[in-house]
Amino acid sequence: MATTTLRRMDVQQAADDLRHRTLSEIPRSLDRLIYLASMRDYNTGLYYHDGLASRFTQEVACEALADCHHEAFRQLVGCSLQGLVGQMEAYMDSTHTNPVEFLATWKRLEPYRVAVPVETDPLSVEFLFSSFKIALAILEARLAPQRVALAA
Amino acid sequence: MIQLIPFMFVGVLLVFSLFFLMRRKPRARAEGGTEVLVEARQALNVLQAGLLPQELVGRIFAKEDLDYVLSEALPSVHKLFLEERKKTALSWVDQVRHQILSLRRFHLGSARFYARLSMRTEMELALAFAALLFECRLLQALLYVKGPYAAPGMVGSTAAAAARLCKISEASLDFLNPSHLNTLGSPSAGQARP
Repeated sequence: MATTTLRRMDVQQAADDLRHRTLSEIPRSLDRLIYLASMRDYNTGLYYHDGLASRFTQEVACEALADCHHEAFRQLVGCSLQGLVGQMEAYMDSTHTNPVEFLATWKRLEPYRVAVPVETDPLSVEFLFSSFKIALAILEARLAPQRVALAA
Repeated sequence: MIQLIPFMFVGVLLVFSLFFLMRRKPRARAEGGTEVLVEARQALNVLQAGLLPQELVGRIFAKEDLDYVLSEALPSVHKLFLEERKKTALSWVDQVRHQILSLRRFHLGSARFYARLSMRTEMELALAFAALLFECRLLQALLYVKGPYAAPGMVGSTAAAAARLCKISEASLDFLNPSHLNTLGSPSAGQARP
């Protein structure tokens, strides 16, 4: 029991460390979600962060990353549609990709599907995916007049 | 001899009743079985942590999202938005209904073994379950026909009624909490508080 409590305290400390050192540099929850998903091994579902693991242990680092991933997911689910569209637009700009290509790829590959943490409730996941779909449609519709103007 | 006929009739009826009772399939879950308890606990967790939190329900049915989409003045997006929100809203009601059915199974079959509920409480619970399940069906129909923003008040009342039933079920399942597990070895095990 005491070991579990101590371990939980370590995880909280590690999560605070991660928030303070790394996540504070990533202001948007969408970016944080994608960043934290990239820290996860697709085959094992375990998270890896060398810096955090060296300060704590691999297990503690893994749990802290998972906690922060869940946190970013919850924040994104709680975000309004307008907020989500804004975050997606900002993320798209930050990638310096052609917006048309970006939107086409996101619509086709739906990369957000692999960005959600495990053990999240299915309805929240369904809702977020649905919101992504709508946000992509809004961004695409906004781009349409620009494309027509460019073509003309 | 004629006086024997009613007795013979009753006897035949009893034999038939016994025959049908023997042939009846055993219930999938034994009353008071752990499977029902686990299912009820899971249903409670899903409802309280996943389906009923105000943040999620508020987001799914948020009018501000509709206003935002309308302000963008994009007819194709408006249609997609309403379709997507309707799908999610229907999924929400369906999942709430499904979990409430699990809780009702627990109350019908097992709760009386673990929680000393009075007859009156049991009747009130039965009515509350029936009313909520009916409300879920009605809400599903409304959302299906009129869309996700058809009955905001009913969404709130359904969520509130489900939350109330969760509280009652939680009290009935209270004996599963680790703090009460040490009482399992005592002679009163299996007779948890209501």
